[in-house]
Amino acid sequence: MAALVASIYRGISYRGAEGQWAWILHRASGLGIVLFLYMHIVSIFIAAIGPGPYAWVHATLYTSPPAKVLEVFLLFGVLYHAFNGMRIIIIDFFPALGKYQRTIVRIELVLVVVVLVPAAIITLRGIF
Amino acid sequence: MATSSSRPYQGKTRYGAPNHEGRIWLFMRLTGLVMFITVVFHLLYMHMAVGVENITFDNIDARWSGPAGVFWRLFDASLLFIGMAHGMNGVRFSINDYVHNKILNFLLTAAVYGLGLFLILLGSLAIVLGAGGLGNLFQRLTG
Ligand code: HEM
Repeated sequence: MAALVASIYRGISYRGAEGQWAWILHRASGLGIVLFLYMHIVSIFIAAIGPGPYAWVHATLYTSPPAKVLEVFLLFGVLYHAFNGMRIIIIDFFPALGKYQRTIVRIELVLVVVVLVPAAIITLRGIF
Repeated sequence: MATSSSRPYQGKTRYGAPNHEGRIWLFMRLTGLVMFITVVFHLLYMHMAVGVENITFDNIDARWSGPAGVFWRLFDASLLFIGMAHGMNGVRFSINDYVHNKILNFLLTAAVYGLGLFLILLGSLAIVLGAGGLGNLFQRLTG
């Protein structure tokens, strides 16, 4: 436990600037999506039993106001992880791009926001 | 590999052929590339175009039926299998980074993979049997 705390502290206190933050967010979003995926699979299994269980899952886990707010966090996590993952893949296969690393991280963040904002508005539209 | 003292990228043997971790490194990137298309499409289609509110039991039943239903079931199965494989391996990276006790590391990894296989089984059952299929099977089994 102490080792865990120490290594997380080392992770966030190391002054690695863009690359370090990009990595921490990549790990946090990846693990967050895994947790969501666990819930997603179990809930689909329950919903597939029949119309009754489906209606319950749909109303409570997917369309209640708290669920819609959490869905926006999910959208951010997936979009960030997807775009940042593409950045990692592109730089891994074209290492020469490494010297534009900072610019590429910024372009990536702009892309994430550009897709996230309309997606969040569409998602939250129903609850206001 | 010129010298053995500095090898920043450990994914290859010194002869240039990928070792086991090197293949996993490649696997994470290939599954990532595939999911960049499939997962983003899933979000744009199910969450934006259709809308989560409109994904009802009848909607799923219709989408999974007929010839196009075969495509949708295969598509959903690809999300399930590729997502879980990539995700389970990603969890293993974190366990290896933070848990250095060999026994605890092994137990945690085994638990994560066991849970993963179990969930893949649940998801596959839902996709293969279809909307309401589990309930129908249940009824037939219990008479
Ligand atoms: C949408 C497209 C996706 C892309 C482009 C992508 C890309 C990547 C890449 C390049 C890595 C780094 C692998 C390495 O360090 O060798 C990674 C790690 C990871 N991914 Fe994804 N991924 C995607 C979707 C997902 C999904 C859906 C999940 C959850 C089920 C997920 C969970 C993880 C986890 C947990 C890690 C490990 C993070 C770490 O070690 O810090 N990814 N991903």
